This record gives sequence, C-alpha cells and structure tokens, in this order.
Amino acid sequence: MNYHWNWGIYLEQIKGGGETYLSWLMTGLGWTVSVSLCSWAIALVLGFLIGTLRTAPSRRVARLCTAYVELFRNIPLLVQMFLWFFVVPEFLPHGLSMWVKQEMPAKEFLTASACLGLFTSARIAEQVRAGIQSLPAGQRHAGLAMGFTLPQTYRYVLLPLAFRIILPPLTSEFMNVFKNSSVAFAIGVLELTFQARQMQEDSEQGIETYLAVTLLYFICAFIANRGMSWIEKRTRIPGCIAAET
Amino acid sequence: MIEIRNVSKWYGKFQVLTDCSSKVEKGEVVVVCGPSGSGKSTLIKCVNGLEPFLEGEILVNGTQVGDPKTDLPKLRSSVGMVFQHFELFPHMTVIENLTVGQVKVLGRTKEEARRKGADLLDRVGLKEFAGKHPGQLSGGQQQRVAIGRALAMDPICMLFDEPTSALDPEMIGEVLSVMQDLAREGMTMMVVTHEMGFARNVAHRVIFMDNGRIVEDTTKQEFFGTPRSERAQLFLSRILRH
Ligand SMILES: Nc1ncnc2c1ncn2[C@@H]1O[C@H](COP(=O)(O)OP(=O)(O)OP(=O)(O)O)[C@@H](O)[C@H]1O
Ligand SMILES: [Mg+2]
Repeated sequence: MNYHWNWGIYLEQIKGGGETYLSWLMTGLGWTVSVSLCSWAIALVLGFLIGTLRTAPSRRVARLCTAYVELFRNIPLLVQMFLWFFVVPEFLPHGLSMWVKQEMPAKEFLTASACLGLFTSARIAEQVRAGIQSLPAGQRHAGLAMGFTLPQTYRYVLLPLAFRIILPPLTSEFMNVFKNSSVAFAIGVLELTFQARQMQEDSEQGIETYLAVTLLYFICAFIANRGMSWIEKRTRIPGCIAAET
Repeated sequence: MIEIRNVSKWYGKFQVLTDCSSKVEKGEVVVVCGPSGSGKSTLIKCVNGLEPFLEGEILVNGTQVGDPKTDLPKLRSSVGMVFQHFELFPHMTVIENLTVGQVKVLGRTKEEARRKGADLLDRVGLKEFAGKHPGQLSGGQQQRVAIGRALAMDPICMLFDEPTSALDPEMIGEVLSVMQDLAREGMTMMVVTHEMGFARNVAHRVIFMDNGRIVEDTTKQEFFGTPRSERAQLFLSRILRH
C-alpha cells in the first residue's frame, strides 16, 4: 500500500481559511447531534401519540394511525429526505411554497430533523403499540375500575408500564437516530458525513478522515446507549423482572 | 343497591350470559359460584361496566350502567373491585396504589389521601409495607393491599372476582378474614368465590351459575340445605369433598 499516513492532519490549517480540519469535524458533530436530538424529540412525542391511538377504541383512528406507520416505514429514508426537501414544497400553497424555498431559515436542518423525526416516530409507534398490547388486560380493568377515564388509565397505568417494556428497543432506536442522521448530508446539512467528504476531498487523507468520523459516530451511539441504560436503571421496578404478569 | 335485570351478553356468536336477573340489597353479602366458564367473571364485570352487555339493564344505586349517558368513571369510582390476580399497579409503591385514585379521581389533597391510605394499610395489617412495591409482597399481602386500594375510594359496594383462587393455601385465610370483617361492618358485597366456608360464615344469599344462566338464587340456608337444581347439588358435592 502506497498510502502517505499523516496523523497530524486534523490540526493542520486548511488552505485559504484560518480553520483546522478538526474544527470542520466538530462543526459536523454539532450538526449531527442537533439533528439527532431534534428528530428524537419529534419521534418520541409523535411515536407515543400514534402508538397509543393505535390501541384506542376508535377503529377509524386506529386505522389512520396504522396507515401513518406503514407509510413512513416502507419508504427508504434517503428517498423521504429528498421528498421533503424537493417535492413537498412544490405542493404547498404558492406563498408558503416561495417562502420555504427562498426564505425559510435553517431550511436544511429543519427539513432533515422533521424527516428523520417522522421516520423514527413510525418505528416508535409500532413499539409503543406492541408494548401496550402486551400488557395483561387486568391492568386496564384495574385502572378503569378505580374510576380513571380511559386517557387517565393510559397516563397513569398503561403507558408507564409499556414504556418500561419497550426501553430496550427504544435504546436501539435512539442509537439508530444518530446513525441515520448521516442521510441528512444528501440535502446539504453540514453534519459529520458531509464534513467528512469535504475533508477527504480537500486533504486527500481519506483513511484518517473516516477513522475520525467512525470514532465520533461510535462515541455518539455509545453515549446514547449509556444514557438509556441510566434511564432503564432509574425506572426499574423493585421486585419485578419486567412488568408484572 | 345492585339490580341486574334480564341481562344477556354475547362474545360474537357465543352467548356468555343468558337472561340473568338478581338483586343485591344494601348491606347484603351475595356469593356467586358455579363451574369454570359459567360466566361469573363476566357477570360481575358487567356490574361496573368493564364488560358491555347487549340486552337487559343493570342499576347501581339507581344509575343505569348500560346507558351511554352515564358517567361511567364516576360510577366505577364508587364501586370497589378486587381481582383474582390483584392487579396492583406494579410501578407504584403500595401507598401510591392507595392514593392515586383518591387524588386523580376524587380530587383529594395528597396529605388527605396519604392519611386515608395509611389508615387503610393499618387496617389490613400492612402499615410497614407502605414504601414497598407490589412485586416485593407475597400474594396474600398484595390482595390485602388491593382491598385497601378499593376501600380508599369510599365505595358504596364492593365486587370481588375470585379474590383467593390465585393464592397459596396458607395465604387464603388472611384475605378472607379481611373480607369477613368488611362483611360484618355492613359493606354491600358481591363475591365470586368457591370458598364455601366464607359463604357459610358471612353470606346472606348464594347465586349459582351454570352455562351463563343463574340457576339458583337463594338464601344461604336454602342453598346449603337443599339446593334445588341437580347441577348445583353436583357442584356442591364436588367442592365440599375437597
Ligand atoms: N374476551 C372473550 N372472548 C370470547 N369469549 C370469552 C371472553 N372472555 C370470556 N369468554 C368465555 O366466556 C365464558 C365465561 O367466561 P367467564 O370468565 O365469565 O367464566 P367464569 O365463570 O368466571 O370462569 P372461571 O371460574 O374460570 O373464572 C367462558 O366460556 C369463556 O371462554
Ligand atoms: Mg372468572
């Protein structure tokens, strides 16, 4: 192999600017984390809402929510990214469409967050539904018999239990969000993958570049994983392995 | 207090309840028994509207359970229910199990609810378990907490669905004794159970069900003296032989 190793590349000044490659990567990391956390917030709220409604008594609402889940689960994420960025604005009312195309601040970032958030919410909704349906009917009966309304039964009994049951798949979903955020480079978000490609082209040190990027993604996923384990430990029910039978 | 009039219910094509009628007066203790699958749980769950029924009517304290206009949560909050598998909320501590309904449904303050909850725990003999989670308690203890949880709502009557049948034999006594105390204090109770000792001690009437029908509905004396239906006689002889 005729490769010229240069481990000092990260701290070298970039031709023409006062920046180092490391600062590029850090900017990328910043955007990756921002897009991921923003998407995760959207995904949690929508995922729990849609997942809950899928188990609700109204057949029509449940079917609508199932359609939502199928729609977002069955289209590749990259295609969804392009759809939101290039196609959806065309179908907005004229004024809004012009505003989105020309003036919307942080357009790439917001589009990427919304897209990844909706995509992930469909997956979370599926887990929430399965979690709720795995609970014994007795818990629902106990809540209702106490005088809780159906929403109260969900709020105080079913969702707290379902949440604990689905924490493991939720953890991998959270890690997936960081990994999937790399797709945002396709619409020009300056996140890690985008910066990596730039650095590679600019410095011609591909191996060092991608090793660094790999490490940064790994650290993100690792921290996400640790964070979720911490929550898992904090919400563990004394005297129970999982939820009670 | 509880009036069941000509209630019928189907699961799809399968008829679980056929033309059931009965009545539980204020202060009365009624035991419901019958073979497995005869519809006892279904009937008792119809009383507080956990199971909908297609035909007939049920009145609790004068309120129609089956009427869509009825405020079911409000009605249920005044009817205590105890389940075969306890169904305590596993993620809450024992005292939280006793206070959550008082606070969220009855609108009591946290202190009020806590005081009431602690009193009831004392009454079922579990004061020192207030901070534990249900999973850390034995079955008998959990069922006593569940009775306390129902009582915390100041119910006007109590429904029990086989409260001791999931318990180890040595724990049945402690639960039955709490129930007997309740009965003696004049609580209106409808109890699905096969504990004939309990029926003999405190029941006023016994309802015997078979195949979704109420086959016998008599006083305790008559039931244990000369049950009229062959099915009930067979059932009794089987149960008493154990
Ligand atoms: N959700 C349901 N769907 C269909 N059939 C049901 C359902 N729940 C109960 N059944 C049937 O209805 C019948 C009555 O059930 P129920 O639970 O009321 O009986 P039970 O008298 O309480 O019996 P056990 O002593 O075993 O508790 C049974 O044959 C049962 O299989
Ligand atoms: Mg039953």
